[in-house]
Amino acid sequence: MEGGLMRRLVRWEVLLLVILAVTIAVNSAMAPMFLTIGNQINLFQLSIEKIIVALMMTLVIVNGEIDLSVASMMGLAACAFGWLFQMGVPAGVAIPIVLALGLLGGAFNAFWITVIGMPSLVVTLAMLIGFRGMARILVEDRGITGFPDWFNALGQQPILGPLPLALLVFAVLFVVLLVVLHRSGFGRKVYVIGNSAEVARYSGVAVPRVKALLFVASGFVAALAGLLYTARVSAVRGDVALGFELDIITMVLLGGVSIFGGKGTLWGVLLSILIVLNLRNGMALANITGHLQTGVIGLLLILSVLVPNLVQSAGRLSFKPGSASR
Amino acid sequence: MKFAGSSCLAATALLMGSSLMGPTALAEPVTATKGESVDMVLLPKFLGILPFDQAHRGAQEAHEELENKGELLYVGPTPENSVAGQIEIMTTAATQGQDVVMLSNNSGDQIVPSAQAAQEAGTRVVTWDSPIPSAEGETVFVAQVDFNDIGVVMADMAHNIMGGEGEFAILSATPDAANQNAWIAAMQRALEGEKYANMTLVDTVYGDDQSELSYNRALALVDKHANLKLIMAPTSVGIVAAAKAMQDEGLCDQIKISGLGVPAEMVSYTMNGCAPEFALWSFVDLGYLTYYTSYLIATGAIAGEVGDEFEAGRMGTFSIEKDPTRDAGNRVLMGPFTVYNADNVEAAAQ
Repeated sequence: MEGGLMRRLVRWEVLLLVILAVTIAVNSAMAPMFLTIGNQINLFQLSIEKIIVALMMTLVIVNGEIDLSVASMMGLAACAFGWLFQMGVPAGVAIPIVLALGLLGGAFNAFWITVIGMPSLVVTLAMLIGFRGMARILVEDRGITGFPDWFNALGQQPILGPLPLALLVFAVLFVVLLVVLHRSGFGRKVYVIGNSAEVARYSGVAVPRVKALLFVASGFVAALAGLLYTARVSAVRGDVALGFELDIITMVLLGGVSIFGGKGTLWGVLLSILIVLNLRNGMALANITGHLQTGVIGLLLILSVLVPNLVQSAGRLSFKPGSASR
Repeated sequence: MKFAGSSCLAATALLMGSSLMGPTALAEPVTATKGESVDMVLLPKFLGILPFDQAHRGAQEAHEELENKGELLYVGPTPENSVAGQIEIMTTAATQGQDVVMLSNNSGDQIVPSAQAAQEAGTRVVTWDSPIPSAEGETVFVAQVDFNDIGVVMADMAHNIMGGEGEFAILSATPDAANQNAWIAAMQRALEGEKYANMTLVDTVYGDDQSELSYNRALALVDKHANLKLIMAPTSVGIVAAAKAMQDEGLCDQIKISGLGVPAEMVSYTMNGCAPEFALWSFVDLGYLTYYTSYLIATGAIAGEVGDEFEAGRMGTFSIEKDPTRDAGNRVLMGPFTVYNADNVEAAAQ
């Protein structure tokens, strides 16, 4: 009984909730403008594409895989859009083409991982380079701008109350993935495979199908995020979203998702996203930028890897004597 | 000072063609009222390189001189996060209600939406060192030197070092750094002159203003072009990285480095012959002038429009003109700049 309570108390999500509460309290005490609606929207908008991709990445990592190519796909999507636009393709036609490109890129990853059987780490690392290379070939060494106003407005103007499109996409995607991962048979398969692909296979789970679906979805979401980024900054160049994959994976791992798969929840990732965004925003308002800001986020990640392991070994030590009674 | 003022007027007269400047030129230049309260943010491309710290020093000097009761902040992103970081700081500055952001833009036109939002929130955006390409969201650009002058000076340095003939290449910053691209274009125009007929520009590569990448790009140039005699790097990061690369590989006898660099960082390479000549303007002065321009605009003393004339403390009188190097936008031209070689680099590096 007491052990159960202890474990619930040290549950990662509870810890995250405490950190989040502290961050928000400190921020609002330090900066009066922190709680304004404008700042709260900006807080999301400044990283909105990363957090959209982080939601999908959660499913991929719970499944025991990784997709390192997401940021390069975001860049490729942005550059493909810019390139198509420059070739005279109307923005309204370019959008579906770019989204299809995301599906195709995801399917390409899925092919090598599920059909050929290569590790996703290797395949998506290769495509981290591959997609980025294609992006740079498409726009070469220039910046493309001058997209239609309606397109830029999608990334910058509120469309529902004070909420811009990307924030709504984030909210809808969160709810959809929450149902998929935590309330559906497909979600259960994702966990089973993440725990042990062998066991899943012997229990009759169509392992390759589940994995393939996740990678295709990951490519699609990354392309969508790339388009949202393009609309938000209304310009593209070859280095769009460069290095974003590290921030994205950081948020997922900090959310308590095990890099080995099978463990973690979307709620945890949502909390971790909120922590990272609030922390960044609070530091920016306190004029802490640059390396110090990176350092603090890095420290948080180190703790997120160390603490659960320490708690686990501490738990093993203290609960071992009583284990017979359970 | 005199030179700056007159070249400024000459350029304006030449490029504007019309006599619009007549009446304003006669008016008294505006001077700043000391002791007002203006909150200012100096936002470099990223933190941790010398020229930006020097600009900060110049801004601090002006800050004290004008007895500004407001705050002068010096904040910037890390090199790896430059674009997203600049957008974040611009957005935050508007939220904080800062009066001016002084931006050395590294984000191309990606900064435009956040700069426009800042302007709408009452935060003026004055660019320096590197402008916003489309000029959207920008009040005015404080230009270091006339971009065409830079082109001629770089062409002449190349001519001197190469003895007027042979192959050379350019190692630049990011592919859409507005200032570097304008300088390279100006240099290419200068190279069309007969004097440079036997010099060939064989390649242009980009080191993204990161030391390691620039170092590797410089070495790649050497591998690719067997007859290369010179690498011209119009960036203070690129020129040091390229000079170090040639020195490390013992190539300084065959391949020389030139471009735009900071004396304190270049002195050893100039003295050992790896980079016999390079040029630069004073970043301290650029920070000082940018501060004065921004202070005057934020206090409403000048509007930031073409024809405005003002005093910038110890640097003298300046005016705002249409920026001839971009399709849109206004600028204040600082000028002039210095060519450094073995004779004067040691004194400047102190």
